[in-house]
Amino acid sequence: MSGASTPVRRPLGAEKPDQQLLDFVGLNLQVEESQIVEEPPRVSLAREKLLEEVTRALQIGVDNGKKGVNLVVIGHVDAGKSTLMGRMLYELGKVEEKERLANERASGKMGKSSFSWAWQMDGTAEERQRGVTMDIALNSFSTPHRLVTILDAPGHRDFIPNMISGASQADCALLVVDASTGEFEAGFDRGGQTREHLVLVRSLGVSQVVVAVNKLDVVGWDRSRYKEIVDALKPFLLQTGFQNSKIKFAPVAAMVGVNLIDRDGPDGAELRKWYQGPTLIALLDRLEPPARDITSPFRFPISNVFKGSGSATGVTGRVCSGAVQTGEKLRIVPGDEYGIIKMISYDGDNIPWAAAGQTVTLYMTAVDPIHLNVGSILCSPTSVVPLATVFTATIIVFDITMPITAGTSVELFHHSQDTPAYVSKLLSTVDRSTGKVKKSPRVLTKGLSADVQITLRSAGGTGKAYSVPLETFKTNKEMGRVLIRRGGETIAAGRWHFLVLLPWPLSHGGKRDDACLT
Amino acid sequence: MKLVGKHVDKTRAGYAKLRPEDDEDMWHLYNIIQNGDLLRAPAIRRVQNVSSTGTVDSQRVRTNLTIRVSRVEFSAAASSGNTNEASAGQQPTSFAALHISGRVAAENPHVKMNAFHTLDIEVGRDVRIEKDEWDSIALATVEESCVPGRGAEVGAIVCGEGTAAFCLLSQHMTVVRQRIDVSIPRKMSSTSSAHEKGLSRFYEAVYTTFLRVIPYASTTLRAIVIASPGWVRDSVMDYIFKEATRTGNKALLAVRNKFIKIHVNSPHVHSLTEVLKSPEVASQLKETKFAREGIMLDKFFKMLGSDEMRAWYGPDHVRLAADRGAVGTLLISDELFRASDPRERKKYVALVEGVQRKGGEVLQFSSMHESGQQLNQLTGIAAILTFPLDIEVVEMEERESKEQVISEAEEQIDSSTESMGT
Repeated sequence: MSGASTPVRRPLGAEKPDQQLLDFVGLNLQVEESQIVEEPPRVSLAREKLLEEVTRALQIGVDNGKKGVNLVVIGHVDAGKSTLMGRMLYELGKVEEKERLANERASGKMGKSSFSWAWQMDGTAEERQRGVTMDIALNSFSTPHRLVTILDAPGHRDFIPNMISGASQADCALLVVDASTGEFEAGFDRGGQTREHLVLVRSLGVSQVVVAVNKLDVVGWDRSRYKEIVDALKPFLLQTGFQNSKIKFAPVAAMVGVNLIDRDGPDGAELRKWYQGPTLIALLDRLEPPARDITSPFRFPISNVFKGSGSATGVTGRVCSGAVQTGEKLRIVPGDEYGIIKMISYDGDNIPWAAAGQTVTLYMTAVDPIHLNVGSILCSPTSVVPLATVFTATIIVFDITMPITAGTSVELFHHSQDTPAYVSKLLSTVDRSTGKVKKSPRVLTKGLSADVQITLRSAGGTGKAYSVPLETFKTNKEMGRVLIRRGGETIAAGRWHFLVLLPWPLSHGGKRDDACLT
Repeated sequence: MKLVGKHVDKTRAGYAKLRPEDDEDMWHLYNIIQNGDLLRAPAIRRVQNVSSTGTVDSQRVRTNLTIRVSRVEFSAAASSGNTNEASAGQQPTSFAALHISGRVAAENPHVKMNAFHTLDIEVGRDVRIEKDEWDSIALATVEESCVPGRGAEVGAIVCGEGTAAFCLLSQHMTVVRQRIDVSIPRKMSSTSSAHEKGLSRFYEAVYTTFLRVIPYASTTLRAIVIASPGWVRDSVMDYIFKEATRTGNKALLAVRNKFIKIHVNSPHVHSLTEVLKSPEVASQLKETKFAREGIMLDKFFKMLGSDEMRAWYGPDHVRLAADRGAVGTLLISDELFRASDPRERKKYVALVEGVQRKGGEVLQFSSMHESGQQLNQLTGIAAILTFPLDIEVVEMEERESKEQVISEAEEQIDSSTESMGT
């Protein structure tokens, strides 16, 4: 039956291209060669296999049994964060002697020889010229049991958005405080970054902190000064919500390199007299990586986008949850675009897969780089992060001078995203000491815990998104945390717990001139 | 705006004939014209005629139309306008658009009675507004809009690394003329050239946009503010003048003293409030309406923080405070006067007049400004009281007095029934 009909059709179909080819040859025209399409990378492992491998790797650790931790370096401006990290990298052999000499010479030429170590981290011309870290510097080193990814945060208050972007990728924090006279106090007082940074990292879910009391050489390795600083910081750390067992202190001097790796040199003689505790590196070696959520759907907030080699676009960030491998297709939110992972790079090496907790660079292909923005989220196509414009959050109000009212203009920080928004409704407050609940309060004052509704402001005429990808705290802890700032001051931290997915005009109450402003 | 003619009689009914001259006048008209008013303005209407033989001919007729207003629409930066390079540096042409729809209220040979029409108000063309009642707010707006030489403007660039918003601030409006977003790769340990390249691309975009949208050479532009966190403003300003020198832009180099650099905490447009609060700008713009609005709103929030009993907001609460003569400064948004229900508007007008009679200060916020937007979010009305009042106590008093009235009424009824009985 079928044999009767098919022979008629098959020659027709087969003949056509041949005929065309012949015609072209006859016309003496060249047949256009089909464009060489880059073969998209293939997925090598089945989903279950991948998860199995990831779980195994997490248990025994990668690379000779080392476990990865992400460490954000925080502290007041000029506490010596970048210098400490630069010196640390040198001591661990990550910086070549040639490079060190070049930095030393160049910084000396500019009359900034004290910044020589920091130049290892502060790469841009402007940072070097001003002697201030402006953006997160990403680097890594390994200790006997840990593979530490460091995120060197800027301490200047104007760059807190960048610091938040880094802190949201961290598991642990290294707080650097300046021990020299008056400097510690300046950083720790109200308005100093020591306090704000600690509160920020704690609200972003960091629970372990190592405090490096830096520049002790300046005060002549004064033991009482060290004790004074420890005694001042400890109550505040406990009050901020760090557990006593997860707070560690170490006296160091970054410039001369004492007590980072060892304190054997002549510079460490004074310290050896009264300090027998662990070195900074020993403390970092004991950092415990938190539990990684690898079974949840893949989430990857983008913190940096750059042009990679060839057609690929590099995106850096930390995998919030789930696991991913080369060749997988990912959805970019916000937007309606997909990209394919061509390559995953971790600490300079190419790796076949990446899992929750790793700070990696994904090289994306088959996507226009214009769709990849800092603040966007890559997620698995089967489970897409919802976008929200209006949502309710439970917030804890920090120490603020001006109260929060309905209509307060704020900036919302969610991973690397910084979005203007306003508090549209005050739903209820809970007094944290008495537990008294008050419905629809007029104002929120410091120390209160409150449920508020937040509405994003429209971005006006541009194509910028007026909704952000969010998930409730219950669904995904890493995706549900938020920080609220106003006028350069962090005023609250919170957790989403309800997203109202409204089309934008409705969410604005149909106001006529909203679109003209902001 | 020019006042061509005005007549308001004893009953407060009457008309005003106005000639708008710039964007801000459009905004004033938007605030003056209400639903139910009669509006006469030139219009272009397509008129179709069917001749006796059945042929249809249609033509555009320019005619004056009178309509009964049923809808008013305003948009600040609707038309693309002529943004060509030739007009750069000069007074900008009109960008705002005001559309007023309604039914035709006076017939003419071309248009039938009750036909719908939408009038586009144009700059330079007279508009006649007829109201049954001109209240004090409407009259004050007319008066204010016709004061000559109030065109002080400020150009502002609010920028951060990779983002910039170009705004024009005038007495009653803040218009974001353009935003730019340039993605800058963040610094990386190995290749820092990508970051630098991104930055220079950003500065270039800022410079070209600046030339296009900020009328820097205009005499009415009093200051050009470059605001940013960090040091972006320094770099931007350096770049602007480096380029101006390189290209020999004399007009731009001549206005160097107009430039002010201000530190703000975030690269978003709402940090314009911080700009207006900063001493450098405040001293330049003292006594201008928008600077004052910002300062008062700030004062209100501070009061809310320090003495909650002296800072009230919300229409009901403010009314209660006004009844007690406690309002020292009333902050009210023009949004409230645009209420579609005229009774609602009357209530607010009465409130404003009441406060003014008692010697209180009234500040009418423009919702086209950042401060007005914030006030709108805060129900649109707020008051700083001269003496502290506890809301809960006041509310209780109200309740009691209401109960008293009711019980008195009941007593009266009782007594009347009793008297009926006897």
